[in-house]
Amino acid sequence: MTEYRDGPTIGETLDQHGVSRRAFLKYCTAMASLLALPPLAGRAMAAQLRAAPRPSVIYLSFQECTGCLESLTRSFSPSIENMIFDIISLDYDDTLMAAAGAQAETARAQAMKDNYGKYIVVIDGSVPVADGGVYNCAGGRSAVDILTEAAEGAAAIVCVGTCSSFGGVPFADPNPTGARPISDLVPDKPIINVSGCPPIPEVITATLMQFVSTGQVPALDAHRRPKVFFGNTIHDRCYRRPFYDQGKFAKTFDDEGARNGWCLFELGCKGPTTYNACATVKWNGGVSFPIESGHPCLGCSEPNFWDGGSFYSALSTPRWGKAGEISRAEAWTAAGGAALAGVALGAASAGMSRLRQRRHEQLGTETPTKES
Amino acid sequence: MSNGHAVPAANLAPAEARTPQARELGAMRGFAREIGALSAFRLESCIHCGMCADACHFYIATEDPKYTPIWKVEPFKRAYRREASAFAPLFRLFGLAREFSGEALEQWQHLLYDSCNLCGRCSLICPMGIDVAALIEQARHAMFEAGLAPKELYEKAAHQRRDGQPEDSSEPYRDQLLAIGSRYGVDIPMDRPQAEVMLTVPRTDIEHYPQSVAALARVMAHLGVSCTFRSDGLVAENYGYYAGGKDWQREISRRLIDQALVCGARVLIVPECGHAYTALRWEAADLYGKPLPFAVRHITEYLAEALDAGKLRLRKAAPGATTFHDPCQLVRKGGVTDAPRKLMQAMGVDLREMKNHGGFSFCCGGGGGVLDIERAAPLRYRAMENKLREIDETEAKTFLTSCSDCRRTYDDGKQHFNWDKTPDSLLELVAASLDTTTKEATA
Amino acid sequence: MDLLNFARGPGLQLALLVFCVGVVWRIAGFVLLRVRRDFNEPRKSLLKAAGGGLVTLGSRSWPHPEFIGRTGAGEALGYAYHLGLFIVVLLFAPHITFLGSLFGVTWPALPNSVITIVSVLTFTLLLAVLFRRLTHRVLRMLSNFDDYFSWFVTTLVIVTGLMATAHLGGPYQTILGLHILSFDLLLIWFPLGKLMHAFYIFPSRAINGALLSRKGAAS
Repeated sequence: MTEYRDGPTIGETLDQHGVSRRAFLKYCTAMASLLALPPLAGRAMAAQLRAAPRPSVIYLSFQECTGCLESLTRSFSPSIENMIFDIISLDYDDTLMAAAGAQAETARAQAMKDNYGKYIVVIDGSVPVADGGVYNCAGGRSAVDILTEAAEGAAAIVCVGTCSSFGGVPFADPNPTGARPISDLVPDKPIINVSGCPPIPEVITATLMQFVSTGQVPALDAHRRPKVFFGNTIHDRCYRRPFYDQGKFAKTFDDEGARNGWCLFELGCKGPTTYNACATVKWNGGVSFPIESGHPCLGCSEPNFWDGGSFYSALSTPRWGKAGEISRAEAWTAAGGAALAGVALGAASAGMSRLRQRRHEQLGTETPTKES
Repeated sequence: MSNGHAVPAANLAPAEARTPQARELGAMRGFAREIGALSAFRLESCIHCGMCADACHFYIATEDPKYTPIWKVEPFKRAYRREASAFAPLFRLFGLAREFSGEALEQWQHLLYDSCNLCGRCSLICPMGIDVAALIEQARHAMFEAGLAPKELYEKAAHQRRDGQPEDSSEPYRDQLLAIGSRYGVDIPMDRPQAEVMLTVPRTDIEHYPQSVAALARVMAHLGVSCTFRSDGLVAENYGYYAGGKDWQREISRRLIDQALVCGARVLIVPECGHAYTALRWEAADLYGKPLPFAVRHITEYLAEALDAGKLRLRKAAPGATTFHDPCQLVRKGGVTDAPRKLMQAMGVDLREMKNHGGFSFCCGGGGGVLDIERAAPLRYRAMENKLREIDETEAKTFLTSCSDCRRTYDDGKQHFNWDKTPDSLLELVAASLDTTTKEATA
Repeated sequence: MDLLNFARGPGLQLALLVFCVGVVWRIAGFVLLRVRRDFNEPRKSLLKAAGGGLVTLGSRSWPHPEFIGRTGAGEALGYAYHLGLFIVVLLFAPHITFLGSLFGVTWPALPNSVITIVSVLTFTLLLAVLFRRLTHRVLRMLSNFDDYFSWFVTTLVIVTGLMATAHLGGPYQTILGLHILSFDLLLIWFPLGKLMHAFYIFPSRAINGALLSRKGAAS
């Protein structure tokens, strides 16, 4: 187990705040079930957490919309308050912290210095590298600089949201700021991507909890996302899947199919290609998720989701133009142009063939083929 | 192209000694010359389904894949891809679809001549609707250009082009015809300056079936139409058509056309000869370059028209159970299907149709010039066996046809197989059943 | 850009472009060759000949009774897999969505389970067709690269489609990407090989049939 910091363990902090063992155990059990661990794992996790030092967390925001943090603050289990007060020591977060300006920067520098090699960096937002990184600065320093400095002493980096994981919206074509995902810029640290726009709050907190309790990077998929949350597609876990299999689809948002809760594939649902836990963990404490509310999945937890054509055109349809901006009429016009080009080429090759034929015929009369 | 079967060496007239390179060039020019929008469409459409093999009696008899009809035009197909298809420049640039070498073409002589009767049965089976026989005819044109027409056909064509008859004869055909007339006691109208109808004669009949010539004269006399043979345009056959020499075919047809124009004929009668019908009825005008100013009719067709018009009156004939061989060029390819049946019905013939009859009839095996190609005989006999079986299965005693080349082929088969039937001529049966009494009575 | 977005974006656009240009080029390339006039006296009027062409267009869909004994089985096999392909291509919901986005009209789909069964059958039939081509002496002799490659691209689309629906062989979006990519390949190969028969079959039957009817010949 990684030693995060010298100082009080999580158990000591919990006792200090008067959190009962029973409450904490309940909480760990909930977490363990989220993580799809065996029933008794909650107990083990509680024990491990109690013994673990309370890690220092530095939360950096780059090119982002704060939606991820908004999501995180709505976590039910564990709530952000619980986390901040009991499990982690959130030493820097320029949105949440009371301090500002030089005070805030000083806090960050102090935390990094004190916990060098042991702190966790959580990042939302992509990092712009174009034009010397001028598009995202704080305290007179560019995001590239801040990231490089923070990453150097980090035990691990947790990328929260699609922007930090894969570039996200700033990364979308034409990407004027040269936005890059963190994994492009930090080659040598363990990175866990918790993608989503935003990610499910419980997925963020549970990923952090698991890392804190075990000190290890969990099993990740090819996009470095925890397999436990990103192992299945929305489509595979979708409660509307039977309608897909029966070929029953909503064609518009207000037709009979939509009212009957049929599959939203034809309305552009990206569920089949999107790996996330929305269909199982759901949102707002398990209340619902977009498809349940009648809207197709946008595929927000996937790389390049913003560049995959219209959110409302089905996966199996052609993607005209870079972002599906070419209309069908325009595509047919192009096809007509192609056909005209074909006619021209055909006429040219037929003309060439006729010329060759004529030449063969003229030569033919010169060879002694017809007289015995 | 080797498929494990021995291919006979080329069978060429001495005049056609050429280097393989010269053949390659000749064939390529020949193919290129043949390609038009229609033939190109046919070549484009083939999907290699192989069904045409199942229509061809040479394949059915031997089960040898090389007799697949469309395979016979493989050199034509490749030449098309290289010379005239839409992507021909790419084919040439990357050396795809290479030309057939002169040696390979010599082997193809066997496929395009010895083992194809131009019978057109394959054209009816193709699911893509390709007229395969038309392609084979065109491929023969290129083979001819390459100097690869078989010796027998080439020499007969050359002779016919030069002298108007495919072979030397002891006496001129004109005199032989007149002699037949006196032997059978009929008047042979010859070289009349003006006539409504111009008659022609198969050389085969002069040599083998003189009674058929007499029957023609007798029937025409019965109809009382002004008609004549023309000594400068007697022979109906066209060896230019068989050999694939398009220019020669034109010149040979031209003799007949010119004579018909001289005597002002309104109808040119093709006697009982199948390929002559194709050559004159369906190809002569195209080669002539403009419509003919007279109609071309097969004798059975002409007689059926006369029957309909009430000019031809026939007695009942009693030849017993009869079957009829449909000559491919007349029936399947020529459209003369109803005429012979109409005549037989008028004579009250008890017609027993073969299993494959009408448009689907099997060829006698001698068509397309194959009968003249000596080395093709063994293969021809194999294909014929099936046909003879079909004839026997009808249990008919009398066997009729309306093409003297078919008749010759069956006579030859009769000897070869010791077959118990004799092919008879429908025309002769008509001549023997003319109802002269009623005619005299009405006259 | 990932495979799927390439396959349904630029890849598909390129493939459709090649398809449009190539098909028209290939057809114009021979239609504009010389056409010889027929001077011989027709037996049937132009109208009747055209009628005969239309009859041939339909009648050649199944062998004449004289030929069925020898070709019926082969033709039935051909029909079976073509029918399977049409069902899968035209009646699978995502395909209808695809075609709908191209042509602006949609129609009801078959349940996926039916499509899956038909696809598996079609794939089996395609294997049988290949086996027949490899073992039948006439077909083996006639076949060239075009025949085998056309079989390959058709079968590849079916196989990747089946893998995508069965979630076999990799992440769904990768297999779906491969499926669409293999369709792109088919579109590009289309004008180059025998798949063109889709455009030829009916005009070819009609034109040859009309020419035979014009002579009163069998067709």
